[in-house]
Amino acid sequence: MSLKRFSQSIDGTIPIQALLYDDEELLGSQDNVGIYDGQQKSPRHQSGTAYITSHRLFYVDGPKPDSCSFSIDLSHVSRTDYYAGLFTSSPKVTLYLAGDVSSESNDEHAPSIWECQVCGNHNSPGFSPSAARICGLCGVPRDAADDSTEGSSAPHLSSSLPASGFAGPVQRSSKDPVPCPACTFLNHPSLRTCELCETDLPRRPSRRELQSAPVSRPHSPDNDEEGDPANMLIKVSFRKGGDKAIYGALKTSLNGKVWESKAATVDRGGGNRSVGISGILRTVENSVQERETSMHDALQDLEALMVKAKDMVNLAAELNYKLTAASSTNDEPEEATFIRSSLTQLGLHIDNAPVTQDMTKDERRWHEELARELAKVLQAGLMRDKGIVALDEVWGGWNRARGVALIPPATFLQVIPLLPQYTTPQVSTRKFVSGLTVLHTPPYSASAFSARLAGFLVMHGSRTTLEIALEMELDMEGSNEAGMSVSLCKEMVEDCEREGGVCRDDVGQCAIVGGGGVGVEVRWWPNLFVGYVWDGQSEEDD
Amino acid sequence: MALSTHTTSTGFLLPSIHSAPPFFTQQPNPATEAIVIEQWTKLILSYARHRNLFYLRVEDAETGGDWDEVLRNDRINRRLPPTHLSSILAGMVAKNVATYEPAKQTRSVLLYWRLPEEWAEVLHQWASTTGQMNTIMTFYEITDPPVNSPLTNIPLPLLRKAITILAKSNRAQIIAIADGEGVRFFTPAK
Repeated sequence: MSLKRFSQSIDGTIPIQALLYDDEELLGSQDNVGIYDGQQKSPRHQSGTAYITSHRLFYVDGPKPDSCSFSIDLSHVSRTDYYAGLFTSSPKVTLYLAGDVSSESNDEHAPSIWECQVCGNHNSPGFSPSAARICGLCGVPRDAADDSTEGSSAPHLSSSLPASGFAGPVQRSSKDPVPCPACTFLNHPSLRTCELCETDLPRRPSRRELQSAPVSRPHSPDNDEEGDPANMLIKVSFRKGGDKAIYGALKTSLNGKVWESKAATVDRGGGNRSVGISGILRTVENSVQERETSMHDALQDLEALMVKAKDMVNLAAELNYKLTAASSTNDEPEEATFIRSSLTQLGLHIDNAPVTQDMTKDERRWHEELARELAKVLQAGLMRDKGIVALDEVWGGWNRARGVALIPPATFLQVIPLLPQYTTPQVSTRKFVSGLTVLHTPPYSASAFSARLAGFLVMHGSRTTLEIALEMELDMEGSNEAGMSVSLCKEMVEDCEREGGVCRDDVGQCAIVGGGGVGVEVRWWPNLFVGYVWDGQSEEDD
Repeated sequence: MALSTHTTSTGFLLPSIHSAPPFFTQQPNPATEAIVIEQWTKLILSYARHRNLFYLRVEDAETGGDWDEVLRNDRINRRLPPTHLSSILAGMVAKNVATYEPAKQTRSVLLYWRLPEEWAEVLHQWASTTGQMNTIMTFYEITDPPVNSPLTNIPLPLLRKAITILAKSNRAQIIAIADGEGVRFFTPAK
């Protein structure tokens, strides 16, 4: 009974509009129709109303609408026929049905609200079965998004991508390319029309027909069809006319093939083209993989670099040793001295191997050893010329000298309080208000520096910060040629101001002629206000 | 470096600190700034006494006026910026040597280079020496007498304050007359 196989019973008491899907449209209706199942009249469906929509044909029975009404998906209609009717026989429209129903069953995607994996849109259950397969907002087929976990709520997009991206089209169709009958181009098996010339490709044995023996039938196992698998048909008989209109509507609907276009999109989306949403998903996945490989390569390069650095340290040590050996009897030639001094300045040469934690058992002793080593490094290179140096420079130079087994910042901070014991002159730490931390020798402590600064200003008059940085250090006897860095000088002068050693003259703000703004040029004076005695107009009373 | 005092054209002797450029800058160090404000206060009050000026406004730092000799020093190319002057005025008001006048704003002050109590004494003294005791005088007669007195051009709010102080000790009394106000002075009852 083809009627039983292809139709789904509905409750006819519900108005027809409420039964439609969200994207389904009512095209026409006609009352006083009867239904023929195959060539015989169907006894229960003889007096009712037929409705044609864009997706289905409805029959609502007159006497018993709740039990005798059904709907047929127009996607099952392979062709139609029209019989105009003779004297007593009424006009009839014949629908030839094909295709397997159970494979089209919607049980796998239960009609409930489902969330699209790509865009997060909640799709309502009101859509036709073919429309329900793709998301209403972004058009991504539902299977492509959650292929691996059917029906579960939110698998992570990237984890589900590998399953969907490559498994999808392979599952659905066989692997051989399909030659086009017109231009002989080898198309992807899941395509319906040729990519180049758009002619229809011969249908491969699709999964519908492969599963032609359904495991479960949605309908009751009534009298099986006697013969005639190729000629399943249903006739609609129009007792009171209106057949032309209904036939026209039916033709329109079949030509429109609204479900077809959706289904084709569903299948075509599995093609290996880089357009549309699936293409984007694929590119995302590719870029993730690329990033992983490049990171892996970079890390391998870093390991190689570390090996080379170790080689360099060894080379420097060797060179130093050779120089010592070669010139042990005579005075060292100039080049040797130059090489040696540049090595130490770079921080590459240290007398002993770096101290690592496994060499000493006790952590406290290890810190002391580190402090000793750092003291040597400081005296050899980093602080020889300057009396004050920033902490990051020290850390960088020390690690460079070590070469391997680098010291993390936390350990470094633990070591520096131990420095004053092992360094001569004593190297102590000082932290400025702005957060800058420096190591310095006693001449650069706060009090010593401010005293020097005051003396300098008294001797030379007011100076800007820049001038102080450049000129002040030159005055110290027997000290370095280079001055201090300007920002460091600024920190120290401002610290001195905070203590009350100097006062400022904001030329930018206070000049009558040529002022620039607040703080543009600041000159420093020794503090004139402390101990000032008033020597202006004496107060007289009238 | 040696700083020197300077005598202005009106005969006022500027202190040596006035020739130091840092004097004009607002110092971030609070201790230093306290000293700076103190010296400025002294300078301003002294100059006000010398020139008989009563009002000082923040705008006087920007535009020219009576205060130019003090608020600017052209010899060293420095001036007192308005922000610094504003904080100096606040300091003076806090020390009660000035008051914001008119009230409820912070741009203009009335200077007390002589405290209101002192003004009260001067007023009473002047009234008795010029023989105006027990007669009703208008405010105008006090502020603008034919002969210059220490009270010439005294601002009315200050005059009123001084009279109020005298009234408390029963040496004056405010009378309301036809246009304006009047005051009568008494000798204190022995």
